[in-house]
Amino acid sequence: MIEVLNISKQFFSGSVNVQVLSDISFKLEKGNTLTIIGKSGSGKTTLLNCLGGLDLPDSGRINCFGTDINCLSEKKRSLFQRKKLGFIFQSGNLLSYLTVFENIVFPLVLNGFSKKDRTKRVKNLLEMLELNLFAKAMPHELSGGQAQRVAFARAMAHSPQMLLADEPTASLDTQTGLNLIKLMCSVGREHNSTIIVATHDNEIIKYADKIIHLFDGKIIKELKK
Amino acid sequence: MNMNFWIKTAWLFLFRSKRSTSALGLMIFFAVGTLVFITAIAVGINDSMIRNSTGLYSGHITGFDLPKTLARDTLLVDGVSDVLQRFQIQGSLHNQEKKEMLTLIAVNPDQEKKVTALWKKIIKGNYIADNEFEILISRATAKKIGVHPGENIIFRSGSAVYCFVVAGIFKTGIERLDHGIAFCPVSILPDLPANWDGAVFLDSGADMKGVVESYARKGLKLSHLKTWKELMPDLTQLIELNRISMGFVMVLVLGVVSFGTACAFAIFIISNIREYGIMKAMGVTPKETTMLIIFEVILMNLAASFAGTLAGSLVVLITSRTGIDLSSFTSYNQYFVVSGLIIPRLTPFLLFLPGAIALSFCLLASIWPAMIVIRQRTADILRSI
Repeated sequence: MIEVLNISKQFFSGSVNVQVLSDISFKLEKGNTLTIIGKSGSGKTTLLNCLGGLDLPDSGRINCFGTDINCLSEKKRSLFQRKKLGFIFQSGNLLSYLTVFENIVFPLVLNGFSKKDRTKRVKNLLEMLELNLFAKAMPHELSGGQAQRVAFARAMAHSPQMLLADEPTASLDTQTGLNLIKLMCSVGREHNSTIIVATHDNEIIKYADKIIHLFDGKIIKELKK
Repeated sequence: MNMNFWIKTAWLFLFRSKRSTSALGLMIFFAVGTLVFITAIAVGINDSMIRNSTGLYSGHITGFDLPKTLARDTLLVDGVSDVLQRFQIQGSLHNQEKKEMLTLIAVNPDQEKKVTALWKKIIKGNYIADNEFEILISRATAKKIGVHPGENIIFRSGSAVYCFVVAGIFKTGIERLDHGIAFCPVSILPDLPANWDGAVFLDSGADMKGVVESYARKGLKLSHLKTWKELMPDLTQLIELNRISMGFVMVLVLGVVSFGTACAFAIFIISNIREYGIMKAMGVTPKETTMLIIFEVILMNLAASFAGTLAGSLVVLITSRTGIDLSSFTSYNQYFVVSGLIIPRLTPFLLFLPGAIALSFCLLASIWPAMIVIRQRTADILRSI
């Protein structure tokens, strides 16, 4: 279970305080898919960052699978992210100095998987995502869709309990985006991972168990399917 | 913590960002290579000053008032290349009415010529020949008593009177050699003094302290022995100064280079901050991030320093074959009276010192960019790219 309780976040932009998140609360069952929708600047990415411990809210609590991530030390938060989370960013954000294989294997090494297990997992993922031929390719040699699939493979390689995706289809064409969403949901279900997606994409909404609509940092609508 | 993984990742980061790595590596390469060469020259200058100062006459160790019973061969221990036996006779040199009090030093001319460089400082005439009643005098003495090579001269010591032909006139430029001493062959003297002086010359790189200790073990009194460091405190101080100033130069050069490298390295890390941000998002701890940056610094330094040391050593090897002739800059310097030729030389310590200093500076320099990466929030890093 993920429990978000009254979180707020401000940013200082020049001399102006911008309230990015305001008193956000919601709950999400394990294995469910949550879609956060809203206009640009509504606070989707900030909420996602707070949920993943990449940023800290000014107030409120976030309890992920029994751990209050705001109360963790930097090291413990890193270890929490390493073990339990997987991230997909808008632009793929692959490590540009590592090959496709090395990018996917990175979280597996961090999590102490054996070499045999690592190779098996990466091979399976590459096969499933039809990226076998690109194992040795560098990120700059991939198309947008391929890069996003590698980012997905990297995020799911260690079977995290929660997958956070920030506008994963934004830089993809409709069909590639749709394929990625289907894949994300099916693999997520297979691993019983909780998926939280911030998006503008209406296609993703179809696959969500819960939808949160943000406007100026506030939840204006919460839908359960 | 998987060290091999972080070393491999650091290597991949460096290897695959070729241009940045090459630019940074070249800075370290040139700094280390230049310093290796400069330190070799500094050692060569010190060597040259010692070689010039000891090789002219005194040797590395001088034995005073050694008993006649002590054979010359006794002093030929390990590390000693030659020992010259000299006998001192106090007396006066006469040319008609003119007179000069001096110490006549009876030497073996062939050995002296082979080992010392005094004969190179003859400005008129020739060096003394064995078994000939010849005398070598300084220019100051020749001027004072008004003699020239080929002319006869009288030396009186007590009741003994010797008639010599002036073989040559020398001028070293060193005060203590240019005044009050003259040389003659030992073979022509019927009676030798009870004690003798010895000039001990060491092999290149021999341990002078060890030689003195081995003399002490043979029963020689240390009060009879003086090393060049004791006899020439000015030279000792000069060499120490040279070493200290070289140390300053090394620290300053590497300091300046490291400052440049630090800035370049900061740019390198900041330009790659996206990568560190992604890693942080994947759960890489601050400690692991620091380790990755440190490994990058170490690997780059090891490679660049190794190449720099190799290149510097190669230049030293090439220049040491012919030496670097600085005669035109040292012609009036008493420490370069024999030769102004500098032969660059490297010691094992100095060979690795520039690389070690470069690594230390670069490690210090990497603290700042590492702190930037660690302190910045992952979200801020990812937001900025």
